[in-house]
Amino acid sequence: MSRASRGDSRADTVLAIACALVALLLLILPPAPRDRVAAAIRGNLIGPLAMLQTRALQTGRALAVQDSLQVVNDSIVIRAQRLAAVEAENARLRDLLGLGRALQWGFVPAEALVDRAAGDEHTLLLSAGATQGVQRLSAVVSAEGLVGLVQAVDARTSTAIVWPHPDFRVSATTVDGSAVGIVSAHAGDGADRWLLELHGVPYRSSIAVGMPVVSSGLGGVFPRGVLIGTVVRALRGESTGWSRSYLVRPAVRPSELHSVMVLLPERAAEGVESVWRARVEALERRVRAAGDSLAARAAADSAARLAADSTTRPDSVRTLP
Amino acid sequence: MNLTQRLLLTVMLALLVTLHFTLRPLLDWRAGVDFLVIGVLLVAVRVRPGAAALTGLLVGTAIDSMTPEALGAGALAMTLVGFLASRLKAAFFTDELGLNAVFVFLGKVAYDWVSIVAEGRLSGMTLVWQLVAWTPLSALATAAVGLLVLAAVRPVMAERRFG
Repeated sequence: MSRASRGDSRADTVLAIACALVALLLLILPPAPRDRVAAAIRGNLIGPLAMLQTRALQTGRALAVQDSLQVVNDSIVIRAQRLAAVEAENARLRDLLGLGRALQWGFVPAEALVDRAAGDEHTLLLSAGATQGVQRLSAVVSAEGLVGLVQAVDARTSTAIVWPHPDFRVSATTVDGSAVGIVSAHAGDGADRWLLELHGVPYRSSIAVGMPVVSSGLGGVFPRGVLIGTVVRALRGESTGWSRSYLVRPAVRPSELHSVMVLLPERAAEGVESVWRARVEALERRVRAAGDSLAARAAADSAARLAADSTTRPDSVRTLP
Repeated sequence: MNLTQRLLLTVMLALLVTLHFTLRPLLDWRAGVDFLVIGVLLVAVRVRPGAAALTGLLVGTAIDSMTPEALGAGALAMTLVGFLASRLKAAFFTDELGLNAVFVFLGKVAYDWVSIVAEGRLSGMTLVWQLVAWTPLSALATAAVGLLVLAAVRPVMAERRFG
């Protein structure tokens, strides 16, 4: 090893020992001067770095808060979604209670135990059977209106066909009795598949759009006055000879059925017109109001047209002598 | 070291210091990565032992100023690590990246052990856990990051590596 190299090495060692001594000196400093030294270093040397660290910590905390806020937000959304379902269920049960109160007697409440994933959407398995008094061909209704009729009865369960069933038929009429026909499932495609058809309406009877259609009571299965649905439009090309056909939007959606009432024959014979009357009258009022507003608009239009004609063609206005 | 190498070393050191004060608190790991040890070792193997000791003293004092009651402990530890790293660079700092990672690992362990003992703030099982569990874990994380840093600077630093 050369003399210069040995000298460098010695200088390095001396410098290192000096550094270590300085560090030791800092370590054994009394608290007051130690804090002053630390403060001076912090203020002059690493102030910006300390600020960076503070910002980083704040960012970290903000991210943590953001995460917890997200969790809270998600929980609120989930609860709100559950609340909507509970409210809907409440409304359904309230309607059913209302229906029970309106019918007063002669009905059997039942749960619709339908397995739509595996089964037939045209039938319902009901949680009430012969033991509860359910009989074959009893009408099945809900607060919204007509659902179907019981086809088979077991001891504790029964099977009902609902209105989309191809064999379902009900004699129907408008509330004022001006038009009578037979309602059955509409054999349409897509969304139209879930509509009904009203056939055999006499050609002279015209039904307004939105007009409610109720069971007529003819045939002896369904009592008069059970709401079936509202008229959507006349079916073109379906008018045969002396009759017309109409498309009807059903009052009951089978997919939303949970609880139903089975009307016993004695109750059906008694009549249930008063049960759905309020709902039917509300629908009728809506049709009438729409008709009135259309008539008013037509009158306003013709008045405006007349006024425009009289101002553009003064020679056409006659003055009385 | 030529000018490019000095420049790269300075930039890398500045980046490591910045990461130490931004990324490390953000990650908030119990066994965090010590970017400053990587920086001091990166410098130490490229300068003379005296300069390495001085670098260690400055960096260590700067860290200590954040925790005044431990002022001097980190400085002493970093001085020793810098000096020894510079002395032992011929033995450890080779072209083998894996060996360099071991070098960083040992540097971090030495730094932690010296500074923790010198501080004298921990005692009993806490001290034992810190020395035999958390320090090696932190050293592992530091070695992994050190490996990445060394791999990044190696193409430029390859020539005249030992200053």
